Amino acid sequence: MADSLPTEFDVVIIGTGLPESILAAACSRIGQRVLHIDSRSYYGGNWASFSFSGLLTWLKEHQQNNDIGEESTVEWQDLIHETEEAISLRKKDETIQHTEAFCYASQDMEDNVEEVGALQKNPSSGVSSTFTEVLDSAGLPEDSQSSNFNSDEMSAKHTQKSDREISLEVTDVEESVEKEKYCGDKTCMHTVSDKDGNKDESKSTVEDNANQPIRNRITYLQIVKEGRRFNIDLVSKLLYSQGLLIDLLIKSDVSRYVEFKNVTRILAFREGKVEQVPCSRADVFNSKELTMVEKRMLMKFLTFCLEYEQHPDEYQAFRQCSFSEYLKTKKLTPNLQHFVLHSIAMTSESSCTTIDGLNAIKNFLQCLGRFGNTPFLFPLYGQGEIPQCFCRMCAVFGGIYCLRHKVQCFVVDKESGRCKAIIDHFGQRINAKYFIVEDSYLSEETCSNVQYKQISRAVLITDQSILKTDSDQQTSILIVPPAEPGACAVRVTELCSSTMTCMKDTYLVHLTCSSSKTAREDLESVVKKLFTPYTETEINKEELTKPRLLWALYFNMRDSSGISRSSYNGLPSNVYVCSGPDCGLGNEHAVKQAETLFQEIFPTEEFCPPPPNPEDIIFDGDDKQPESSGTNNVIVATLESSEEGKNQESPEKHLQN
Amino acid sequence: MSMEDYDFLFKIVLIGNAGVGKTCLVRRFTQGLFPPGQGATIGVDFMIKTVEINGEKVKLQIWDTAGQERFRSITQSYYRSANALILTYDITCEESFRCLPEWLREIEQYASNKVITVLVAPEVSFDITSITCISCRFVGNKIDLAERREVSQQRAEEFSEAQDMYYLETSAKESDNVEKLFLDLACRLISEARQNTLVNNVSSPLPGEGKSISYLTCCNFN
Repeated sequence: MADSLPTEFDVVIIGTGLPESILAAACSRIGQRVLHIDSRSYYGGNWASFSFSGLLTWLKEHQQNNDIGEESTVEWQDLIHETEEAISLRKKDETIQHTEAFCYASQDMEDNVEEVGALQKNPSSGVSSTFTEVLDSAGLPEDSQSSNFNSDEMSAKHTQKSDREISLEVTDVEESVEKEKYCGDKTCMHTVSDKDGNKDESKSTVEDNANQPIRNRITYLQIVKEGRRFNIDLVSKLLYSQGLLIDLLIKSDVSRYVEFKNVTRILAFREGKVEQVPCSRADVFNSKELTMVEKRMLMKFLTFCLEYEQHPDEYQAFRQCSFSEYLKTKKLTPNLQHFVLHSIAMTSESSCTTIDGLNAIKNFLQCLGRFGNTPFLFPLYGQGEIPQCFCRMCAVFGGIYCLRHKVQCFVVDKESGRCKAIIDHFGQRINAKYFIVEDSYLSEETCSNVQYKQISRAVLITDQSILKTDSDQQTSILIVPPAEPGACAVRVTELCSSTMTCMKDTYLVHLTCSSSKTAREDLESVVKKLFTPYTETEINKEELTKPRLLWALYFNMRDSSGISRSSYNGLPSNVYVCSGPDCGLGNEHAVKQAETLFQEIFPTEEFCPPPPNPEDIIFDGDDKQPESSGTNNVIVATLESSEEGKNQESPEKHLQN
Repeated sequence: MSMEDYDFLFKIVLIGNAGVGKTCLVRRFTQGLFPPGQGATIGVDFMIKTVEINGEKVKLQIWDTAGQERFRSITQSYYRSANALILTYDITCEESFRCLPEWLREIEQYASNKVITVLVAPEVSFDITSITCISCRFVGNKIDLAERREVSQQRAEEFSEAQDMYYLETSAKESDNVEKLFLDLACRLISEARQNTLVNNVSSPLPGEGKSISYLTCCNFN
């Protein structure tokens, strides 16, 4: 492991976000020698997903704003020759701001607990009270105290053991999914069985609410213990089932590394209530919310949208109008207009034109039904898996990976103006022909003319779905229209535990909008509309219908998408910039950017062609016949792929059948 | 699935320090070869071998690290949905043995919950019994080895016992125990898969079972 990095490459890529990772795979796939590095200890940059403890560590890193000089770095100034100049890179990531975390779940714990298998990235005594703040002015309950969570080490054996106990109980619950709700107290009693006080408390809650459905009591302790079950995305996105990313995953065979779940519901928020939006033909006809007449209107309108280009007379006169104005002229009830505008076109902005709106609906309808009855897919274990999958592809074709590797500067040849090397934090010079760097690595000086947008994000852990149905395993998307005109709509994604992003009996909720203020100022009103803070004590009936917040985090993330190359100062022509995550729902921006940059660098090469099927590869120079049953051998000589490559099956699939 | 030519398919993932002979091990098993001076294998994601156990065809999909272990940068997604993990070290390299606990921590953190849901008794949150610890002697010949051994069999046995792992010494060069390793593993995977089906009596899909996109079928709006 004490290897030092090779020093000659064709392409050096700095940052492991989605566009950089796609580019890495694409370059390595055509035989370029790729070095892919990231200064962080994890893959994905701002596209990453974290376990609960991982998120707390991340949070802590971003709240300690002024720790610049960590490890000693070798001075690079002396390493620059006379014919060269250096462009220094940023020392610290500054893309995350205004982080605020709140814990509502009960935090009474006597033991020091840590997540099972948590990596001790920061050996200093873990997450302290810095990450939790008391909410005062916001009218949320007083008892959301600062956390006393302390990650002092506990013997691994012990942690393991108690974790098994919990899982055991949860398994019981799983056996009868129908009864899951009512078993909640059992789970709870078991997990806290070492503490008599708590046992009684949960019992009495049960009795108090005897004539109401019993709700699970999830404590902060449980969240921490089950922290490994969480995969919390920094950026909340979904994949359009006919989108560019899906097409690329299938074409490049990177799809074999990742599995998906369908988003099961599209929701709408109207008059203070959450409703399900019927979007497929079957949904429309089964809908109880719509009248017969409405059903016909909606079907007629949607059918028109699918081929709207063939009926220009229907919308030509409204080209200049906003889409919402246009909808008013169609024969649609206000109910339907709301569904169409917010939940199907998903474009609440008043600036949206008729054409954009029709296009959005057409896209939505085309995606519908490819993989299920909504147009969206969500990757198991979170969005953070996807960049990693492309990285794996790059590595399989020889790309070299190194996390925790910082770059100090680009070395530019004065005469040609081209970048010829980077100097890393060991003072090592690494030469390459092309350099691809993510925006956040560029120095303030390079970016002084760049105007960044911001994304407001909230991550919530809740105890119930925002719209309860028979199945508690629903994945939903909801657009909450702006309260006042001109403000931004808020996109809400609710993930259930079967997406492998949260523990059983909880939901992981992501809120996203483009920022006008801090994330909390932008999003808190929506959070209040949909959720109520968790309390141990009696809650009134109206509040009881809402899911309860167990934990919440707000933060702003820099949106570096849509910045023209010319805004950066003094970049050599062979240095290419990738942006961080954009605010959009899909991943189209990242894929387009990767493909565009790839074609700029290698205009004659194919972008991510399918790799050979591992089952068909025959190794060169194997003159000996394989010993046994060998349909599966092997050559690396020709990288022609067979069609079957695309039908690569996942092992799990087989196990189930 | 009647079209398929096997009864079970398992994903087995190899980990361990760079240079301990993971690739040699896989190639010895899948192709019966010991490639001397094996460099990084380009373009090979995983290798497949179908074996027959008690009349049932078992397809083993064996994944290698693609060199990402060299600078400790294995993607988490590599561990997802693995049915078994083979932790490998080199008996002639003390360092590769000392790194094992570090690898174990990484496994605990990232290995799939599916290892649990699909294979292992569901009440166990992470079943270390499904990790097989092997050591792989691949450098030099046997005489060399006797002299160059840095990790005694006893130490390795103690370690694997403490971690509740199954331990085996192999030689990819001489092919000792390689077949045994994979066949034993396949047997265990089958029995655990069976047990799991019985325990869960699965009629509906378990939570956490996703679909690979090339599989999902088409049915359009119109």
